[in-house]
Amino acid sequence: MQEATFLILTALAAGSQHGYGIITDVQEISRGRVRLRAGTLYTALERLRTDELIAVDREEIVENRLRRYYRLTPKGSGLLAAEAGRLQANAAAALSRLDLAGGMA
Amino acid sequence: MIEPTALERGYRRLLAWYPRSFRAAQEEEILAVLMAGAEQGQRRPRFAEAVDLIRSAVRMRLWPGRSGPERRDLADGLAVFSLVAPLFLLVAGILQVVLPYHTSMAADLVRFTGPPRDVGGMSLLRVHLFDITVGCEAVIAALVLLGQRLLAMLAIAAAAVYWAVSSWWMPSIPYPLQLITAGVYLVVMAALLASPGPRRGRELVNWRHGAMLLLAAVAFQGFAFWYAAKGNMVLGFGYDPVTPLYPLAGVVLVIAAVVLAVAARINRYFLLVCAAACYPCAAQLVFARFHTDLLGNPTPARLAALFVPPVLFALGVVFTAAVRHSLDDHGEMPIRRVTSP
Repeated sequence: MQEATFLILTALAAGSQHGYGIITDVQEISRGRVRLRAGTLYTALERLRTDELIAVDREEIVENRLRRYYRLTPKGSGLLAAEAGRLQANAAAALSRLDLAGGMA
Repeated sequence: MIEPTALERGYRRLLAWYPRSFRAAQEEEILAVLMAGAEQGQRRPRFAEAVDLIRSAVRMRLWPGRSGPERRDLADGLAVFSLVAPLFLLVAGILQVVLPYHTSMAADLVRFTGPPRDVGGMSLLRVHLFDITVGCEAVIAALVLLGQRLLAMLAIAAAAVYWAVSSWWMPSIPYPLQLITAGVYLVVMAALLASPGPRRGRELVNWRHGAMLLLAAVAFQGFAFWYAAKGNMVLGFGYDPVTPLYPLAGVVLVIAAVVLAVAARINRYFLLVCAAACYPCAAQLVFARFHTDLLGNPTPARLAALFVPPVLFALGVVFTAAVRHSLDDHGEMPIRRVTSP
């Protein structure tokens, strides 16, 4: 899973969000390192919807503009949890080996 | 009603790059996101935004999602073409060969047009060659109808070899048949490779495709008659007063086929593939209008003008499918990452 996809799913993990909310949340989660643009975001959302990892939660009209809220599906939650576990295990392995190398030095 | 601002109009112009079906579902939503992200006083889309939107739109058109409407359109258009095109060639072949020479129509035509000579691009002396050709077309059509993709591709390859060998010892094979066969089979091969295959095409095909196919085949026959009549004039068989009616009938039937396709809302990708397949024949007809016989005096440049566009189109279809499958395998679309300052 690419980082931006991981971050989009992470942004939706706490609850449903609309497009602009996802952009700002991804920027916050990544500490400003990843800034999605609208075209890129909606290409990703289209693909995630096709893969049934996310779904439309509801629609609202705010100041005459359409807001569509997206939420994680159970399949998306499962995939995100698996990916987070994999990253965590890899990070733990890397840190432990670095500690080991530091101890030997 | 609130007048759209210059910024909104600019964004809408950029969103017009997206496929229609995607725009219908998402345009207002993306526009809301773009407007929410715009800076105070911003009057036009930023360059980076424009690049991102155009790039995403082009990517969506070229490599649509696995099961989105555009993806289905492209794949289904190719699938229908892989089924319908061999049937078109069979109908055109039957109109050109079987009807004129193996029915009472032959005698009627000869009576009408004078002494034995080329009719519809065929010489009576060459009838066995074209009988075999129609036989090949019948086999290919039967294989695609049965959904035998691989066998159909092998049969097309065998037919192509047969045509090439025949052309070697019989250089005067009628141009329209040669061109339409070459162009259609090139693209059919690509469609068979890149689509879900003729089984899927069988599920989708309907009477509209059949009506369009018949109109196009009869139109094609009109052009073939025109070629034959022109050839006969050159050979000194005299002027046939019906000659001007052949291309006229062909053009009217082509227009009727296009009107039917538009009115019946036939898959636009299917129409695009049909246009690419018919290109060599159309190019020959257009150049003939200006007294340039591309295939009659086939220099490398003229052959390139006839066949490079459909070859490129066929390669493009296969490449697009290959890249799409590659993206599907990875389950990812590359996502642009921008590091903030």
